[in-house]
Amino acid sequence: MTDTTLSLEGTPPATVAAGHRELVRDGVQRRLGRRRRVGNVATSLCAAALCVSLVPLIALVAYVVSRGLPALSVGFLVHTPTPEGIPGNGIGNAIVGTLVIVAIAMAMAVPVGLATALFVVERPGTLSTALRFGADVLTGAPSIAIGVFAYATFVIAFGYSGLAGSFALAVLMLPIMLRADEEAMATVPDDLWEAGLALGSRRARVVRSVVLRSAVPGIVTGNLLAMARAIGETAPLIFTIFGSQFYAFRPTSPMAAMPLTIYTNATQPYADAQRTAWGTALVLMVLVVMLSVGARAVAAHLNRKAR
Amino acid sequence: MSTIAPAANGASWAPVDGVAATLADRRARPGGRLYAAVRWGGAALFAGVFALLIFVLLHESSSAFAHMGITILWRGWNPAKNQYGAGVFAVGTLLTTLVALVIAVPIGLGTATFLAELAPRWVAAPCTVLVEFLAAVPSIVVGLWGLIVLTPLFARHVEPFLKDVPVLGALFHGPPLGASILLAGVVLAIMILPTIVALSRVAMSGVALADREAGMALAATRWQVARRVVLPGARRGIRAAVTLAMGRALGEAIAVAMVVGNNTAFPHSLLAPGATLGSAIVNSFSEANPGTLEKSGVVALVVVLLGISVLVNAGGQILLRARKGAPPPRGPVEEILAVTGPAS
Repeated sequence: MTDTTLSLEGTPPATVAAGHRELVRDGVQRRLGRRRRVGNVATSLCAAALCVSLVPLIALVAYVVSRGLPALSVGFLVHTPTPEGIPGNGIGNAIVGTLVIVAIAMAMAVPVGLATALFVVERPGTLSTALRFGADVLTGAPSIAIGVFAYATFVIAFGYSGLAGSFALAVLMLPIMLRADEEAMATVPDDLWEAGLALGSRRARVVRSVVLRSAVPGIVTGNLLAMARAIGETAPLIFTIFGSQFYAFRPTSPMAAMPLTIYTNATQPYADAQRTAWGTALVLMVLVVMLSVGARAVAAHLNRKAR
Repeated sequence: MSTIAPAANGASWAPVDGVAATLADRRARPGGRLYAAVRWGGAALFAGVFALLIFVLLHESSSAFAHMGITILWRGWNPAKNQYGAGVFAVGTLLTTLVALVIAVPIGLGTATFLAELAPRWVAAPCTVLVEFLAAVPSIVVGLWGLIVLTPLFARHVEPFLKDVPVLGALFHGPPLGASILLAGVVLAIMILPTIVALSRVAMSGVALADREAGMALAATRWQVARRVVLPGARRGIRAAVTLAMGRALGEAIAVAMVVGNNTAFPHSLLAPGATLGSAIVNSFSEANPGTLEKSGVVALVVVLLGISVLVNAGGQILLRARKGAPPPRGPVEEILAVTGPAS
């Protein structure tokens, strides 16, 4: 280590400068060494955090795949549930139920979301701010609350039905869709609106031919992602669709759905039931991942087409 | 009727075609009333559903609120004594959420920092994709895994081990049963971890390259750039990520009901089986007969849960708005889209 109290008197200026340089270099090197060591320790800690977070997540997916794959077969995908111990168990009705319920929910939520987004985009003001605030509150609302709401409005009046489940999922998706649609429309440059309006066409025409057409990639992605989120939800369905052991195509009757099948089977002590739960979990997971990949692919495709 | 010349490079560009179409359509049909009706109809439906939600939940829970008064916020749940308080469940909700955040926030931020700043590309790229897909795993699947894999693991190994840890062991007394507040917190942590990682990684990669270069030019190490430049720059995004994750942990009902043990007694230890507002709603809702005070009590639990999550969200928004001149805060939806959308 160098002596840090350097006497400067009587030394020629060049030597002083050299001494200073040496001091600075030493100091820098010492501190650089320390900084590097701190950096290495911190980097290792962060790498350890990555390992810690990947282990349970990969274990989870690997476990679902390893327990779910043996349960899968064509029969499993098309048959209806059988009583405990009788072979030929299947979740065909739950798959159909999920698809029907989600399709109806989309049919309810997409148009309302689009129309509301147009309102918010076209009329900035107190009402639009209130709508946005409502959407934020609803997005943060626990899905179980939406399930209870659907029960209190729909089920008490009309009984358990797939339609009540669709309504719950629609309420769940609506705020996400509203904000996604709005975001997509906000990216349309004002110039395009003005160009359309300057030609003397009606607003409806401008919106349909100019705004919606250039916002389509964002709208499709946002709506598909909302759907991917809704398809895996259990809480809004648990008090609304009741579940069913048979194929049900009429949405006014009680229906089955995959998340509900997982929930009811998981909490039973039988080996068969647990096999069904894992198989259903695998099918549901694959469906959700396919939807989110699909949403990105569609968006990328539409983006390319629009350019 | 005129036509617009094609774009100079001959490419067809959809919006320009649209402008041409507006010309062709000009005043072809009368009035824009239909379009106005569509917009107003959408807004009215949306506002109606929102108002109906608030009204129905308050209406259905009114008799429980009238019966319990303000004591509903701290009393316990005991239908046999006609007592429908949310206190024990609220404590359970806050405890499980706290456990989840204590586990998931440091690990999640460490992971995000590593992926965004420190890791070589060949590690970061596949891990990023992996984490973002794990964010799409439905919570019921996480709950199922927690119930069947983690419950026995915790009962046999993790909880007996934790009881022997000096000092901290005080938090973990009572028999190791597996299903407990602690396990529910761990399951929630696993559920929200991908959200925290993905959102804070997006926030970190949004920090300007010039800021990083300024740090590098001052001879900062990679870690120093991450710590002193990127983390402060991404602070708002990280806060939003944690707020969103906390909201999910507070509101998750089904996965928690599968692992928390469902006990209405006050949890004196993290190993005690307990209940959260969400899990209590799942378990008590079907038990209660329609029209009874108990049913109304369950709906009151929903109202309390909704109140807590709105408070948390509003708190998060205010935190995000704190700095003057900062751009408007991004709501939870924008954050969701930031993770899963094509832009990321």
